[in-house]
Amino acid sequence: MTTKGSAAAGPFLSTDTTAVVLGRKARKGRPRGRPAGASRLRHLRGFAWVLPAIVVIAVFVYLPLVQNFGFSTMEWDIYSGTQTFVGLDNYVKLAGDPVFWTSLGNNVLYAVLSIVFQVAGALVLAALIESLRSTRWRKSLRAIYFVPSAISLTVAGLLFYFIYEPNLGLLNHVLDAIGLGALAQPWLGQESTAMVSIIAMSQWQGFGYSTLLFAVAIQRIPSELYEAASLDGIGPIRRFFHVTMPLVREMTGLMMIVTISGAFQVFNEVMVMTSGGPNNSTQVLGTWLYRNGFVRNDFGYAAAIATVLFVITLAIAVAQLWYTRRRRVEW
Amino acid sequence: MHARSLTAAAFAAATALALVGCAGGEPAPAADVTAEPEYSGTLSILTKFAGEPLGPYFEDIAAAYETEHPDVNVELIQETDQSVKDKTKTLTASGALPDIYFTWTGDWAENFITGGLAADLSEVIAPGTEWGDRFGQASLDAFAIDGKYYGVPLYNNGKFMGYNTAAFAEAGIEVPTTFEELIDSCGPLRDVGYEPIAFGNKDGWPALHYLQQLFAYNVPTDVLHADFDPATAEWTDAGYLTSLEQFKTLVDDCTNSGTGTNGVLYTTAQEALAGGRAAMYYQEILEFDTVTAEGNALTPDEFGIFQLPAPEGAPGDPGAIEGSPEGYLINAKSPRAALAVDFMKYVTNDENAKTLSSPPYGQPSTVVGAVTEETSSRAVFEGITKVNEASQIVIWLDTVTVPEVADAWLAGGEAIISGSSTPEQVMESVQGANSSAQ
Repeated sequence: MTTKGSAAAGPFLSTDTTAVVLGRKARKGRPRGRPAGASRLRHLRGFAWVLPAIVVIAVFVYLPLVQNFGFSTMEWDIYSGTQTFVGLDNYVKLAGDPVFWTSLGNNVLYAVLSIVFQVAGALVLAALIESLRSTRWRKSLRAIYFVPSAISLTVAGLLFYFIYEPNLGLLNHVLDAIGLGALAQPWLGQESTAMVSIIAMSQWQGFGYSTLLFAVAIQRIPSELYEAASLDGIGPIRRFFHVTMPLVREMTGLMMIVTISGAFQVFNEVMVMTSGGPNNSTQVLGTWLYRNGFVRNDFGYAAAIATVLFVITLAIAVAQLWYTRRRRVEW
Repeated sequence: MHARSLTAAAFAAATALALVGCAGGEPAPAADVTAEPEYSGTLSILTKFAGEPLGPYFEDIAAAYETEHPDVNVELIQETDQSVKDKTKTLTASGALPDIYFTWTGDWAENFITGGLAADLSEVIAPGTEWGDRFGQASLDAFAIDGKYYGVPLYNNGKFMGYNTAAFAEAGIEVPTTFEELIDSCGPLRDVGYEPIAFGNKDGWPALHYLQQLFAYNVPTDVLHADFDPATAEWTDAGYLTSLEQFKTLVDDCTNSGTGTNGVLYTTAQEALAGGRAAMYYQEILEFDTVTAEGNALTPDEFGIFQLPAPEGAPGDPGAIEGSPEGYLINAKSPRAALAVDFMKYVTNDENAKTLSSPPYGQPSTVVGAVTEETSSRAVFEGITKVNEASQIVIWLDTVTVPEVADAWLAGGEAIISGSSTPEQVMESVQGANSSAQ
């Protein structure tokens, strides 16, 4: 086993195992010495195959991104179609907009709680499930935890809207039934609980999916490593920290990217459950962008929010990709 | 295939895709609404009648129109009250407005009119024209700007407190005549097991309906109307603070949901009255036939309405009723504008106007004579009579003001309900939004 750029794999991992290093060594073994013309032709052919995809992505992804930045420097009246250049005014307005900061704060809260539940929590749960001896139980539990992920976010949002309903909702009735009626709340109807209630629904919905992905990653770890660790007298908790966690690092990094990016792109559940209310307390960048564009007719400002949202998610993705690549573990 | 030809093919495909993506249409000619309609092609219409019980209304009319004109295809885009706002703006921003589209009055309609997206219908619908004389003038005027008529008013609307007469009898109370009496009636109703007033404010705008009616009572009319326009607005009249305080009292004393009302759907509140669990529910005329529909605990005989009573000594207009007609605009760039006019004439003919005013639709048509005691339910007829007799009709707060100010009111209404802002803080927020809108 080899770790790139890290020596944090734990002492028992220095034991010689079945792990081999692929990558550079393997690539060195490829045949070389083809004529330059044939190589160029091969490159051109490859380029021809990917060109349509590149063009489609350029037209439908990158061009709108550039256009969006252009719109963010405009004041755009959708009715008359007039666009007036206002420079960076929309960004200045954004800095002084308290709802923008509330939205950003809600996205950060969403990301933090999602990392706790959908990355850390899901990894622990996956390790527990995969440590079970009974194959039937392992399969059953994976399916049980995965089921909520098969429900669309819109449906789950509506479902939880009725669970949280203050007068008729299941949650308050259950609290009443078990003698905790004092804790009953208008969960989505007050600023103090609305955002956390939405995030809780989202964790319920996404938790099983993360668990399943981690379970797959854990299944790929050679059993010899666990056996070697057991022979060395390592207990299950240390095995988790010193075998499982390092060897699913790549999946963890991927889940971090997906989870954090998802947390900054959250939209459906908020729209379904609160539409950003009450009093803008559950606005996130996506819904505030939408509200400014489609309710307040301020498309230039909405484009500025979109640009900020893009920069944030891009920066997070680049940073995490760099981090996980640096610490990639291969065997 | 050789690499070179492959590359060329890929490049051609990519170029074609790029051209499709960048293609822009030629500007359409201006609509000629007076031309003789050509009965062919597809006519698109965006309605606000999605779902039951309203959905079949336009479906049936479209089918009948297509039968009369076999070469015409009517493409219906049916949306709900909430989704039609987003749909309309999305279609506007993408330059894909249908030939005919729904509109509210006030700032909503003005945006389309001043933006050149609504055809001037004066020559065919202004008072004095054959078609125009079929409507009440106030309904036509609601869609007029600078003496030009742009809208086809389809139905009138107004907001009333609907109540369960049996619940009032059980509690031994009369219909309140002042706002204070309304608040006082909540205790006896609660004592006999009813939620006094069912209220759901999940979408924000139901609170604005209460507030706008209270503003009409508590704020002098000239001040109120000046405040609807950001250029002249100040939003400093003491009547606004009074209204917000009265609204908070109503929420706290008369609803079961209280500070959690923002977590309750408007339709959940509607069902509370329809199901006989609540004694009152503030609603539009358009909902009267829904709450008393067959199968509901509340029957038409037990259903009564009254205008939200004015506070004692309020300095505004106690005869004002909140509401407005709703109607349709014809796309100024539509190549089938004449056909669109013909279709809307068909929609507003006597037979269809009466159908619209009758159960299960219960939408009081703007066509003169369509709403009678015979064609409409008793409550709808009573409601539209009160609207016609009102000293003035005050348009919904979220459509009469510019979106930025309306949005501040939406958030403010929610904050008053949850208790997170004081009336003074709400007014500061509204004034700030108005300054920004200026």
